[in-house]
Amino acid sequence: MNPYRIAGFGWVSSYGFGRGFSSGFSGFGPGTLPQLQRQDLFDKPDRRFGRMDPFSRLGLAGITLALQDAGMDHWQEKRPVAILAETYSGCLETDCDYFTTVIPEHGALASPQLFAYTLSNTFLGEAALRFGLTGCCEVVNSCRPDGLAVVDNALDLLDNGEAEAVVVGFCDLDSYGVLQAPGSLFLVVDKSAPSAQLTLTREASGALSLSGQPIACAMALVARLKS
Amino acid sequence: MKNVVITHGSAVTGLGTSLDATWEALNDGRSAIAEVDRFNTDHYLAKVAACVPDLAADATGSRLYPLLDQVLAQLPQLPQETRLFTATTKGAIDLLEQGQRDGREAAQLQASLPVTMTRWVADKLGSADPGQNVNAACASSTQAIARGAALIAHGRANCVVVVCADLVSEFVLSGFSALQALSRLPSRPFDVERSGLTLGEGAAAVVLMDEDTALRHGLPTDIHLCGWGIANDANHITAPARDGCGLILAVEQALTCAGLAADDVAAISAHGTGTVYNDMMELTAFNQLFGDRHLPINSIKGALGHTLGAAGGLEVALALPALRRRSLPPTCGLEQAEPLAGERVKNVPQPFRGDVLLSTNSGFGGVNAALLLKRRDG
Repeated sequence: MNPYRIAGFGWVSSYGFGRGFSSGFSGFGPGTLPQLQRQDLFDKPDRRFGRMDPFSRLGLAGITLALQDAGMDHWQEKRPVAILAETYSGCLETDCDYFTTVIPEHGALASPQLFAYTLSNTFLGEAALRFGLTGCCEVVNSCRPDGLAVVDNALDLLDNGEAEAVVVGFCDLDSYGVLQAPGSLFLVVDKSAPSAQLTLTREASGALSLSGQPIACAMALVARLKS
Repeated sequence: MKNVVITHGSAVTGLGTSLDATWEALNDGRSAIAEVDRFNTDHYLAKVAACVPDLAADATGSRLYPLLDQVLAQLPQLPQETRLFTATTKGAIDLLEQGQRDGREAAQLQASLPVTMTRWVADKLGSADPGQNVNAACASSTQAIARGAALIAHGRANCVVVVCADLVSEFVLSGFSALQALSRLPSRPFDVERSGLTLGEGAAAVVLMDEDTALRHGLPTDIHLCGWGIANDANHITAPARDGCGLILAVEQALTCAGLAADDVAAISAHGTGTVYNDMMELTAFNQLFGDRHLPINSIKGALGHTLGAAGGLEVALALPALRRRSLPPTCGLEQAEPLAGERVKNVPQPFRGDVLLSTNSGFGGVNAALLLKRRDG
């Protein structure tokens, strides 16, 4: 099968946030996520970021940091890059916040702003329009115990020629998801010449490896990126 | 690439508890849109939706599982190695509504998550594949079908079942109402007087196989899923790009995938929500792709409502009889077509010549998905 380059990665965890290896990735663990400010991610004023729900902000931050790490955050023309995200709880917190606005007055006070973020894939749309990405955008909720379904999906898109690059990752506000802790982790995987340090390969058997080391589950991927 | 065939489609909608019943009612020009009596609609723009009649909650407290039960009961025996995709935007959202009203525990809220629906379907089917849910707004099931087709075409699966469902809920109706996206009267897709969408609920199941596997099991191989495309318009999270760039790209990808030209397309099952901007965007895209040739277009959302994540699955299921009969169902509610549509949208059944049907869906987050189905006489 084809080896693909991980061109960059970004994360937000209770230990902080950052891009690639340079920021000392420490993985995921219990605790509170950092309060990300617009200035942490974008050079220019961005009114939308402040309006987003916490789930979208967490996901968009991970994608932004990953694209920055890959040097793909600036663009002139829209690009055939896909974004795939795995989540367990998705925007459940936002759903609850939204429905809290519906209950009193039988919906007369329902918030259109919150409702726009009651789809787990909304933050992918935010990322697509900010970075000009025109590939497949979808959130998956997988029941696969290894947590790697979304990575398989990403490699399918690359193998099939349906995307030139894929931003793929995990995003949850709670600890029920693949990361077993609040946070987001996104990788930019593309078809450039694989690097020695970060090459993602799917064997004929379907097994994944990172630079030659088997990746049996999503947490093993996290561990390899930490090392 | 291997040939992908659709061996089965089933549907439960406001117009019927089977694909055949829905097809017949659609072609009779009937609409399932009626006053909603499940919850108080006094403060909402719309008081109508297309609900599945007599759909009561089961012991879980949700209407989702009785709905899914009906559609799964129509599935044939599936091969052991079948891959499972589900598609829904909000799953058992009625459980979240109850949980929020009653102040229940987190478990009640978690039960509303899409992954719970996937687990339930996998258990019900006895599926070896634990499955995954695809959430891509109103293109969820279309994208799930595209993903399944790609797995088969590239030899990574022999059989895929896509099960999709969404409910009419106060959660969603209140939201679209707050966004001013609902029509007060039953929606009128592609009509010059269209003023918004009407929600609907439904479920569908679509079985995809590689042609050899289908032949081995003695299943129908006359309808091929020969092309698919998915593209984001990278424009706005709740509004489509007015120039239709994302939909154009998705259709172009599907045509390339299928090795077909635009002239090969004989009919279009459009998304057609009945909102001013969606319908105009679609017509703009279709005009750019297909010029001004007479190409029948329809939307079923004036009859079945907009079933959100289930919309694409239902439309693919209904494309099976449409292709076999070479006839598109009427666009219910249409009186005077939007000028950009010309004579291509009608409120009566539209016979067409040719073998290729294009089915498209678009949604929040800028998503656009296109599928090409081809009839091949055996």
